[in-house]
Amino acid sequence: MDAYAVGVLTNMGLFAFVALSAYLLLVAGEMSFGQQAFFGVGAYAAGVGTALWALPLWLALLLGMAVGAGTALLVGLPTVRLRGLYFAMATLAAAEMVRIFFEVFRYRREVAGRLVGPDGTQGFQEIRWVFERGIEPLGYLGLIYAILGLLVLGLVLLERAPLGVAVRMVGEDPELAAVLGVDVTRLKLGVAAAAGAVAALGGGLYAHHNTYVEPRNFDIMLGVHSLAYALVGGLGTVMGPLLGVGLDVGLLEGSRVVRGYRMIVFGGLVALLLLVRPRGLLDEATVHRLGRLRRRPRPGVPGGAPAG
Amino acid sequence: MAGPALEIHDLVTAYGAIEALKGVSLTVADGSITCLLGPNGAGKTTLMLTTAGLLRPRRGSIRFGGEEIAGRAPHAIVGRGLALVPENRLVFPAMTVTENLRAGAYQRRDRAAIARDIEALYARFPRLSDRAAQPAGTLSGGEQQMLAVARALMSRPRLLLMDEPSLGLGPLVVEEIFRIIRELNQEGTTILLVEQNAHLALTVAHHFYLMEQGRVTFSGDPRALAEDEVIRRAYLGSARG
Amino acid sequence: MLVDVVQNTIDGLLIGSSYALLALGFTLIFGVLRRLNLAYGPTIMLGAYAATWAAREIGAEGLALAAITVAGAVLGGAYVERLCFARRGGLRGAATARGPAIASMVASFALWMQLEEVVTLALPRHLYPFPPLYAGAPLVLGPFLLRVEHLVTLAVAVLVAGLLAGLLFGTRFGLAVRVVVDDVEGARCVGVNVPWVLVRVFALASAVGGVAGYLIAATSGQVTPMLGMWSTLKGLIAMMLGGLGSLPGAVVGGLALGLIEVHSQWYVGPSYRDLIAYGLLFLCLWLRPAGLLASPAARARLAATG
Repeated sequence: MDAYAVGVLTNMGLFAFVALSAYLLLVAGEMSFGQQAFFGVGAYAAGVGTALWALPLWLALLLGMAVGAGTALLVGLPTVRLRGLYFAMATLAAAEMVRIFFEVFRYRREVAGRLVGPDGTQGFQEIRWVFERGIEPLGYLGLIYAILGLLVLGLVLLERAPLGVAVRMVGEDPELAAVLGVDVTRLKLGVAAAAGAVAALGGGLYAHHNTYVEPRNFDIMLGVHSLAYALVGGLGTVMGPLLGVGLDVGLLEGSRVVRGYRMIVFGGLVALLLLVRPRGLLDEATVHRLGRLRRRPRPGVPGGAPAG
Repeated sequence: MAGPALEIHDLVTAYGAIEALKGVSLTVADGSITCLLGPNGAGKTTLMLTTAGLLRPRRGSIRFGGEEIAGRAPHAIVGRGLALVPENRLVFPAMTVTENLRAGAYQRRDRAAIARDIEALYARFPRLSDRAAQPAGTLSGGEQQMLAVARALMSRPRLLLMDEPSLGLGPLVVEEIFRIIRELNQEGTTILLVEQNAHLALTVAHHFYLMEQGRVTFSGDPRALAEDEVIRRAYLGSARG
Repeated sequence: MLVDVVQNTIDGLLIGSSYALLALGFTLIFGVLRRLNLAYGPTIMLGAYAATWAAREIGAEGLALAAITVAGAVLGGAYVERLCFARRGGLRGAATARGPAIASMVASFALWMQLEEVVTLALPRHLYPFPPLYAGAPLVLGPFLLRVEHLVTLAVAVLVAGLLAGLLFGTRFGLAVRVVVDDVEGARCVGVNVPWVLVRVFALASAVGGVAGYLIAATSGQVTPMLGMWSTLKGLIAMMLGGLGSLPGAVVGGLALGLIEVHSQWYVGPSYRDLIAYGLLFLCLWLRPAGLLASPAARARLAATG
């Protein structure tokens, strides 16, 4: 596989994490402009873990996830009662605060004779754990997709479990969910923390792939993009955000024909798509229909009411 | 009095795959009070909304004063002399009572006549007059209902559609509203009335229809039948009657 | 010291007046559509870039540039409206509330990306000079310095706010707009042609944005591709601070944002300036989400629907 293809696939894998992060919150009924903050937090935390504290990669990634979840709770607790646009703006404000924090954050240590660590607007260089162990891009690609695969598997299983059903119910009708005994607040905070951890995991992997991150990488554009990936791909299934990432990063990035006009093409397609499919390509109705195709047809059961 | 005010023929309205109106036909005689009865979910509100243009029918015809209006935009229908007092009143909560009335006359341009009409409505609804400068959102349920009716009257409609005017209101207020309904009709306004309170509705109606599950199942003149037979039919429906 | 505080306050109000204009446009759209138009800033940028092109290619200047900016913004706005928000005028039962709210917003984001690319394809450099509004020295009033461009912006903002108020409370169109903002279904019941109103409000909001865009470009003397996101953010923050959907709130929010920025920058420097602005926005959303100027009705509406 040529280096360019490896690069495209790697980007797809990495952005899938932050798209899944936005998706989790959307399913729980909240629109967040701020998941990129946790991506960044995970990147910095995991980077500090390996580059300054000599942790192995797996431990550093876990550290990143913990910090990501913690930050998400810090943002989530004051905002849990906010809905709709108010919540979205609060996440945007919080994410920008995190980004600006990294613009002034300095934590430098001497490691093997060199000064390494986050350096404000200069960013965080020398995250070389992967490089130093001679792990090839292809091998790292495999690692990313292995982790992504496990995550997706876990989410798919959770979706069918009572917890997943409860989350979707909270997303559709929080009052009804509350009446049925769901602790809406705790569930939303749980989803927020999980989404933060997922984004942070992606961020940690991203930092070690690029070996260098700076605050500018985690700006609003990334956040709104993640939201777009999740929505365009479809909110009916975990595969939705993956499809969204695949379409943008994969298809259009990979096809050099539309190179210079990528956003014009993609932007137009997205707008048109959302006109006819407001819940995305793999929306709940489609997923429901695909599911029924797989099951045996039963006699006497006609079309029935549409989902949603 | 030329021809029926409203003729609905084989009207079908659907929400996605669910047909709420499965082919409704009815006639409202000019100058009458016609009542639409039936259980919840029968499609009465859907019929009102479709007639007023707030829902688009899939099939069928609605003739108002001889003109076909099915599928036309709501603002065109109001312009032709049909006004709806909707089920949840839908007054403008942040605007004052007077501004609500002015909004009701939105399509009219005759300023002096509009001002006179507002005065006349305040005379007819003294409780609204007391609250003229208050935001409509602060009014009680009964007052909001009166405001909704008054606002609809500002467009000087020939046909007034009223969807459950007694909903959630106490008996004294309901009596007042029905007194106004009788008055308006005596002054020449044709009224199509949807009501849960079948007993009260039948005291004012010249003709009534019963709707069940998206269809008209019974049509009758309340005065031709003995009262309890009418109620029986209205509540129990013709299938089990 | 006091001189500094007063000077900063004056500067804050002057800068805030351009934010107020941005917020006014944003609020008009949000008020009638109940949706967020993320392409608002980019359409303003489109207008500013059209004017930049006109200045470079055909030597346009002064009021002609302002007109071109407004025209570009209105045209861009019409495109966005048709593609993302036109359905909003549709009838009950055509689409339910939540899904399409996010959908039209993300669609507007997609168009933001489109517009940004169009603009950078047409004028690829990172920065272009924009003919300044006033090339002379600032006015000196005692110990205070007043930049003339900023004073013009303030005057225009006041004028626009006044014209909008006159439009909304003195004309039939204004009545229709207020009625649609208050209850769109009720508006249909009284015979307001809702889609017609929405199209015109969108155009009006784009025009206001275009005016803001011209003033901002002519005051800073340059345009960059970041103008789109920058305008959207400023307008959005100002709108949230002042109270979602409230036009007086938009003005207050804009001025407040200007004051916060100038004073923060003076005391803690440019790095922390935005941190404080966002921090205050977050605090505001946490403690008083309806905004500084929210009416009891707005707060009740917030509690009910979110």
